[in-house]
Amino acid sequence: MTSATVTLSSEADVNLTPAEAFERFGRRDDAGWMFRARCHRVAPGYAVAIDLPGGCDAQVLGRLRVVLPGREIVIEQDQPWRGQLRIKFERTGAAQTRVRFRAQVPSEGIEWLARHRGASLPLPAPTGARRIGLLTSKSGSGAVYSMAAEYMAQLAVEQVNTSGGVDHRPVDLLIADDSTDHLQARRETIRLIEAGCQAIFACVTSASFAAATEAAEAHDVLMVHPVINEGGMEARKVIRFGERPEAQMSALSRIVERETGGNRWFLVGQQYSWSFGAHRAAAKILDASGSRVVAQRFTPLGTREFAPIIDSIRASGADVVMSSLVGADEVAFQQQAYEAGLRDLANHVSLVMDECTLEHVGPAAGNGIWTALNYFQSVTSPGNSELLHAYREHFGPWAPPLSSLSTNVYEAIRQYLELAALHPDAAPSQLAADWRTRKSDRDSVGQRNMATQRLYLARAEEDVIRVLDEVVA
Amino acid sequence: MVRPSTESLAFDALSDGVRRQILAILSEHGECTVSEITERIDSVGRTTVSSHLRVLRTSGVVQERKVGRYRYVRLDADGSVREALDFLQRIMTQAADELSASASTAEPRDPFEEKLAVG
Repeated sequence: MTSATVTLSSEADVNLTPAEAFERFGRRDDAGWMFRARCHRVAPGYAVAIDLPGGCDAQVLGRLRVVLPGREIVIEQDQPWRGQLRIKFERTGAAQTRVRFRAQVPSEGIEWLARHRGASLPLPAPTGARRIGLLTSKSGSGAVYSMAAEYMAQLAVEQVNTSGGVDHRPVDLLIADDSTDHLQARRETIRLIEAGCQAIFACVTSASFAAATEAAEAHDVLMVHPVINEGGMEARKVIRFGERPEAQMSALSRIVERETGGNRWFLVGQQYSWSFGAHRAAAKILDASGSRVVAQRFTPLGTREFAPIIDSIRASGADVVMSSLVGADEVAFQQQAYEAGLRDLANHVSLVMDECTLEHVGPAAGNGIWTALNYFQSVTSPGNSELLHAYREHFGPWAPPLSSLSTNVYEAIRQYLELAALHPDAAPSQLAADWRTRKSDRDSVGQRNMATQRLYLARAEEDVIRVLDEVVA
Repeated sequence: MVRPSTESLAFDALSDGVRRQILAILSEHGECTVSEITERIDSVGRTTVSSHLRVLRTSGVVQERKVGRYRYVRLDADGSVREALDFLQRIMTQAADELSASASTAEPRDPFEEKLAVG
């Protein structure tokens, strides 16, 4: 960690042996502690989610780095800030243990918390650098899939700066959290614009992106949505790349019908433009292929309880369930569907089952889910091993997995900065026009032409996503 | 009397619409006099604005300075950071308290483990 770090600590003396205290970590019953930390196994490398208390509406997301039963647990944290939590167990009597908690919080974490709790902190002073912004979700439902996006944005900017920046000026990246909320996205976009950002890259929901573009409309700023979306909203200063549900569903319906014979689909989504668009596309494609939608349900963003929808699926007679849910909502749905035995009744398709989401869904609940995105860590395409190596070298082995979302953010920032280097004084609308018509024969991961729809058909096999086929739409 | 924590004071400070409006005004215009703030709020009068400002000051969200007969108010960035740190420390303490509560949850202990521990 390069920024200043604050260390906070506390301790508890408990009437348990160290082994007993340790064993209760991660348990889902009343004996569980650390705010009911959730992980699929208490073992190094496994993802952890901890709800922050105090009305914070945010989760600590990270992974277990050190697990020494009865002695120590170390969690490397990625959301909402990058930090570390260390828990040590020390025997003080026959059945007595002192448990010490020690958290390292960087200044970015303190700043995030102050903002999240309503404080209005001053804008960063101008530095003479060319400023760009990343609007991402560090809290709320989207925090699950946004984890690596911030790191990949940093990597892109650092690589460009190492090569001399843009027009002999360094590039400065500002990060803003929309809290997976469109009103917050609007406020944070205004803050980024006031800080002098010339382009804003959004790894957020379509609802947040719509609010952000509206806030930016009167300003000279390029808005880029490089991650999966339903399309539309494009304008002179607004560009959207990423996977589209038509292409995803076209590829997924073919393989699912061929492999399983399933043709009665139940669609589950959220009450906003992404799911509405995705379900419209799905209905059209399924209708054309002779399958049919037996029912669909939309639920508010932030839903964690899916029992009523699972009951509806069970009653519908569907043999395929397609989910367009995203982030923590998708994690909750897939886990509850698995626990309710829905995997035995129907095949499952997910439009946003990236690596970050899958590791929180867990190997058992995730097993067998079909998906299609434009990048998976396991692709063998040229450039992928170099990109993975650069990421791991920079952020270490405990950083979250790469996914289509984080890779798309990286590619978009690199390509924008390349264009900006060629035309440093071009207006955002001119850069957008150049980008849309940009001809590129480079096909390496990290440099792909974002305007081309390319998908990998894949299936979750426990804790990995296995690529089955490549489709160019 | 139990003194409310800084954390709960800050939550109280942000729970009221007029106080949030004051914070938005200060965020947009920087340092303002009390009169300037009152002019921008239609829903309540000067006395009510003053009492809301007192709540905001007590919770460390804003700072005041007096020049002659004018009171200038501004957001207190340092206070926000201090408040965030207090909140985090409280979470740490809560984690420890939660473990203590878990320990008091009755659960059969393996007698063999107990013997090993004593031995």
